[in-house]
Amino acid sequence: MVRVIIDKHEYMVDESATILDAARSNGIDIPTLCHDEQLEPFGSCWLCVVEVEGERRSLVPSCATKVRDGMVVTTKSELISNARKLCLELLLSDHYGDCLPPCQMACPAGVRVREYIDLIRKDRYQEAVEVVKQNNPLPAVCGRVCVRPCELACRRNLVDEPVAIDFLKRFVADWEMGEKGQRGQRGQKGQKGQKGQKTEDRGQRTDGKKVALVGAGPASLSCAYYLAGMGYRCIIFEALPDAGGMLRYGIPEYRLPKDVLDKEIASICEHGVEIRCNTAMGRDFSIDSLMNDGFEAVFIGIGAHGSYRLGVDNDGVDGVLSAVDFLRDMGLNKDIRLKGRVAVIGGGNSAIDAARTSLRLGADEVMIVYRRSRLEMPANEIEINEAEHEGINYHFLTAPVRVIAENNRVKGIECIRMELGEPDSSGRRSPLPVNGSEFIIDVETVIAAIGQFPEIECLTFDEGIHLGRGKTIIVDNGMAAGRVGVFAAGDAVSGASTAIEAIAGGKKAAMAIDQYLRGELDSKQWSKEFNVSKGSLDEVDGSEFEGIEKQARVKMPELEITERLKGFNEVELGLSQADAILEADRCLKCGCNAIDKCELRRYGIEYGVGLDRFKGGKVHHYLIDNSNPAILRDPNKCIRCGRCVRICLEIKGIGALGFVNRGFETTIEPTFCKPLSATECDSCGKCAASCPTGALVDSSEHL
Amino acid sequence: MGCRCSDSFNRNRLSAILSEYQGKSGGLIPVLQKAQNVYGYLSEDVMLKIADGLEIKPSVVYGVATFYTQFRFSPVGEHIIRACHGTACHVSGAENITRVMTDKLGGLEPGGTTADMKFTLDKVACLGCCSLAPVVMIDNDVYGRLNEARVEEILALYR
Amino acid sequence: MQKARIIVGLGSCGIASGGKKVYEQLQQGIVSRGLDLAIEETGCIGMCYNEVLVDVILPAGKTTYKQVIPEMADRILDEHIVEGRIISEWTITQEDEVCLDRQQRIVLRNCGKISPESIDEYMEQGGYRAIEKVIKGMSPEMVVDEITLSGLRGRGGAGFPTGVKWGFANKSIGDKKYFICNADEGDPGAFMDRSVLEGDPHSIIEGMLIGGYAIGANHGYIYVRAEYPLAIKRLKIAIEQARTHGFIGQGICGSDFSFELEIKEGAGAFVCGEETALIASIEGSRGMPRLRPPFPAISGLYGKPTNINNVETLANIPWIILNGADGYASFGTEKSKGTKVFALAGKIQRGGLVEVPMGMSLREVIFDIGGGIAGTGKHEFKAVQLGGPSGGCIPSSLLDTPVDYDSINQTGAIMGSGGMVVMDNTTCMVDIARFFLNFTQNESCGKCTFCRIGTRRMLEILERIVAGNGLEGDIELLEDLAQNIRRTSLCGLGQTAPNPVLTTLKYFKSEYESHIKQRRCPAKACKELISFAIIDERCKGCGLCIKVCPCGAITGEKKKLHVLDVDKCVRCGQCVAKCKLEAIIKVDRW
Repeated sequence: MVRVIIDKHEYMVDESATILDAARSNGIDIPTLCHDEQLEPFGSCWLCVVEVEGERRSLVPSCATKVRDGMVVTTKSELISNARKLCLELLLSDHYGDCLPPCQMACPAGVRVREYIDLIRKDRYQEAVEVVKQNNPLPAVCGRVCVRPCELACRRNLVDEPVAIDFLKRFVADWEMGEKGQRGQRGQKGQKGQKGQKTEDRGQRTDGKKVALVGAGPASLSCAYYLAGMGYRCIIFEALPDAGGMLRYGIPEYRLPKDVLDKEIASICEHGVEIRCNTAMGRDFSIDSLMNDGFEAVFIGIGAHGSYRLGVDNDGVDGVLSAVDFLRDMGLNKDIRLKGRVAVIGGGNSAIDAARTSLRLGADEVMIVYRRSRLEMPANEIEINEAEHEGINYHFLTAPVRVIAENNRVKGIECIRMELGEPDSSGRRSPLPVNGSEFIIDVETVIAAIGQFPEIECLTFDEGIHLGRGKTIIVDNGMAAGRVGVFAAGDAVSGASTAIEAIAGGKKAAMAIDQYLRGELDSKQWSKEFNVSKGSLDEVDGSEFEGIEKQARVKMPELEITERLKGFNEVELGLSQADAILEADRCLKCGCNAIDKCELRRYGIEYGVGLDRFKGGKVHHYLIDNSNPAILRDPNKCIRCGRCVRICLEIKGIGALGFVNRGFETTIEPTFCKPLSATECDSCGKCAASCPTGALVDSSEHL
Repeated sequence: MGCRCSDSFNRNRLSAILSEYQGKSGGLIPVLQKAQNVYGYLSEDVMLKIADGLEIKPSVVYGVATFYTQFRFSPVGEHIIRACHGTACHVSGAENITRVMTDKLGGLEPGGTTADMKFTLDKVACLGCCSLAPVVMIDNDVYGRLNEARVEEILALYR
Repeated sequence: MQKARIIVGLGSCGIASGGKKVYEQLQQGIVSRGLDLAIEETGCIGMCYNEVLVDVILPAGKTTYKQVIPEMADRILDEHIVEGRIISEWTITQEDEVCLDRQQRIVLRNCGKISPESIDEYMEQGGYRAIEKVIKGMSPEMVVDEITLSGLRGRGGAGFPTGVKWGFANKSIGDKKYFICNADEGDPGAFMDRSVLEGDPHSIIEGMLIGGYAIGANHGYIYVRAEYPLAIKRLKIAIEQARTHGFIGQGICGSDFSFELEIKEGAGAFVCGEETALIASIEGSRGMPRLRPPFPAISGLYGKPTNINNVETLANIPWIILNGADGYASFGTEKSKGTKVFALAGKIQRGGLVEVPMGMSLREVIFDIGGGIAGTGKHEFKAVQLGGPSGGCIPSSLLDTPVDYDSINQTGAIMGSGGMVVMDNTTCMVDIARFFLNFTQNESCGKCTFCRIGTRRMLEILERIVAGNGLEGDIELLEDLAQNIRRTSLCGLGQTAPNPVLTTLKYFKSEYESHIKQRRCPAKACKELISFAIIDERCKGCGLCIKVCPCGAITGEKKKLHVLDVDKCVRCGQCVAKCKLEAIIKVDRW
């Protein structure tokens, strides 16, 4: 035994031990990637560097340096962590892969898409729904109205068309609703949630603390759902008669039937959330009063229900409506009828919703007037197409200059042609009027859908909330809104945006509120998570996808046009089980199979590495070798530590894998760079078990 | 030249080389060198025979062969041109000499072989003839103090 | 009285300069004239810039002709041999002789003097007397002590005391020990080992015999580059001759000391200059260095105690044994004893090999012996690159640095194997750093993360800088990489790979900055940053540039002003070299 001092503590260790052995056996963690206890030290990754007093070299590899009596070792210093960080950055600079599937990365809420699709493929629907709900408590809603950033990012775009992720989500969510057999039950006003099992379990941790949530839209629903899951008592206050926010009062029935929304809200209430409707902030309560009433945190999710006026002459006459008001009235079941011609001004989803709703209300002709071209329309492409399909006309590059009124009632609208100028600083080409191109469209109704903002007037007195441009609430990284204990998310923060953004914000706020209530708030940890990505679709090496067989995306069964226009029946009918399974099978299962065991990722997070320091440098691209049924080989993720080579040769005596080439071009390949199946590999899996990254993985772990 | 693996003459020579080194440690590299002298390059077949003959794993043979720049895995031209790109040659315009060489050989880039299998052009690190920079070695002959004009002159000796 | 003879310099440099044809022409001339004259070949004397060198040795004395071409053979024979008149305009000059006089030739003692293929000539110069002296009168420990006392340090680069190293191997216990000569001279810019192997191979064999005796090894390997075919050929001849004469094999010089010697041809990997990689290579593996300890002296080739010395180190050994440690230590400085061979190359007047006592200043070596910058005085000295890819660039302000291990280390360069590449103001220092990084990243064995990927990333950064695409922060990124690669590589290759960048950053930072900030190459060497232009007043319309231009970028009628199309120009510079009127110049492109 010899005496060594590691990080100022003295230890007696076996004299044959290396510094790494000595440290680890005494509970001191030194990171390493190339070392495997079954093998002799190799010393290639250099992650395990430490400082040794009196040594000629300022950093020595601890995996290969034997202890000496009286040795003084430092395992943590700036020099060491800088070297380790750079080491990881270098390894990651030539690491071509997706830690997370791009769909999950693209989802604001980080829904684990690949996992639930795989469960659908395997007929495990209940588990699939649970996976979705871990990050999104409104799967049936989102399965209908989501703008699907996941599908834009889907790598399957490089083969044929994206996987119908949203349809699949709706499929399982609908399945669950069917299973529960709860059709028809509405989320009751003032319904009291039952305390679930989870609440009891977590009660101790939360001490039954109360959280108030203002507004019952997707942000609050999501926030409350997750807080309730943690054991907090959550009460949502809603100004309108029913819960749902814009989901109810902005999205028309034909896209999101109210009974689906009701059921989904009911399910959140069952989770332990109470909703009090017809209770408005600024009228019935204030943040101060909530605090006085024993709420220890307040979440503001009031959405963006205010709307901009057209800002042209006569924009206040009868027959000029705002899309927000129009759609809200629909949600309030008011009796509205439209006749004649309707012009909807704007290019967003609200414009389309207003237009399609108008058509269903009996308008003779509905047109959308938009000042840019189709390409620039912010609305969802599917929605744009569906509207056209239903017979709505578009007037692109057209802007209203004046409402023509007669007897204080709309008679027409004067428009001007626009042309697109040079791109501005945001890259968008701004429209410029073409002089003398004015023309008149005869219409009976004009619906303005040109922008929304939060109605922050309810925060009448100074309650310490930070407000920003467009009347939005400013929050920090951890969704805190400026006043201690007050958080916000959703449209109230972002301005009019998507349901999934609101859900994601609500969930994030729930995490922050939990931390706050436990006195552990640390907004630093909310910085972006470390994830390697192959890049956007145009950055990805397309050759990887060349061999994949094309298979068309399933078509969503839809209501016939004539049927649609008769009323407000849901247009999209949902996938059949057979189609869902077929579609689930189209998933390419992107993302790394080793994400949970990957040591490179773990250390990357621990050392806070940057992924773009060496951007632009050469990154190797290799073909993935799935020839062996037991071992999946993805050389793009190999860090050349040689553990596999040494295990296969030295322990197994097989030598199916070997180092090839040298320098930066060094790779680890099966003999003669053939597929693994063409070697003497006996599929023992020892290489995969030792691999510190996802370069070699046991195929049975592969979804 | 093509693969001459089936050539029984060469096969016998490979056997002879292998028997010379069988059971001796450290024989792999000399065997690879000699086999390359016989065949001009190392085919997979030849490497497998070497692995077999020396009782070394094929992956190890391939790993060693791909480590050293001397070994080639595709047929080479009749004459191997080694354009020196050592420090002295670099500062004396080796880049231009190699470019002219490429031009004169019908666009042959370093690392490649002419279609008629006459020349293989390689860039090498240093031939140790620095005082004569820039230098080119064709087979075993060194040509020094080159300039662009002399490139064709020395190539003509081998055409 | 010596027999009249003619000696032709036929080292690689001599052959490359047409030496074989000169030899043949002289030989034919001798036969056809029926002259009683021997013709012999010798290795390189070091005056490579004067090759082909021909010595004419007559009873009256020795005359050396320089830059001999075959066409000169007849006149040399007719005028000098037959008529006895020295052709003075063809002989080496006084200056050339001064260069030789200022040298102290120990390593190169026989180079260019004896026939490398004749053991007799080697023995005439005292060859194999040292091994005889050792075997007959010295114990291995006495030999170790003698070498230790001489102060000889390893000439391969690191400068570790040779005697101390031998002492470790001598004390190391093993049933078998190995003695290896590292002749894998891979530093671009160094060629002294080649020259010694080609010019005096027996001195290496004798050095190894003495070393083998000292450490108790009776098996030796010479690991020599395959790129040195002439050296290999001459070594093979020398080994056979030594065997015939009883210096290799059993019972050497009547003792019970036996020694076997084999040549191992390297297969092309610079990293095999690293001891543990070289051992792996001899064992038949990938030349990947391994962790030390254990050092080769304890566990080396096949796990046996092994000593490795480089060629130049070994060439000193017989001389030290015969002339004594004191004799050797009388040359050089306190900590760097003896002499050092330098390979002068690059933009230097008199390129070749010189051997000088340690401690001479760089200025003396480069200017007094090497004659300064090549050409007509148009260009000035900018830097000397010393130590190859592991070394660095030393600026003119440090020209008075004495050449000894420690002083050179202080500049940030290293002695290395002694390659000195001289650079003038047409050499871009960023490009030189790029050049070396390209070399090292190509030669990295690929084992250690920092060396494998880090050198590559450094190269990529340097490449974008010389292409005019450097980014703010690139210098800092280079420095961060450089420092960490130094600290975290297994072997010398990685540890020293950043040196060319670090020294150029230290002495020539402004060049980096002008590339990055102004997209300007001050040396006008980086192709992406320059254009060519014709100066109207100078162009006489001779058409030479048009002929030489590979891309038809220059047009113009005869005797009329020529015009250069910048868009077509590939900036190869051939026109500049061709134009006698200096009418084409390089200008900043941006």
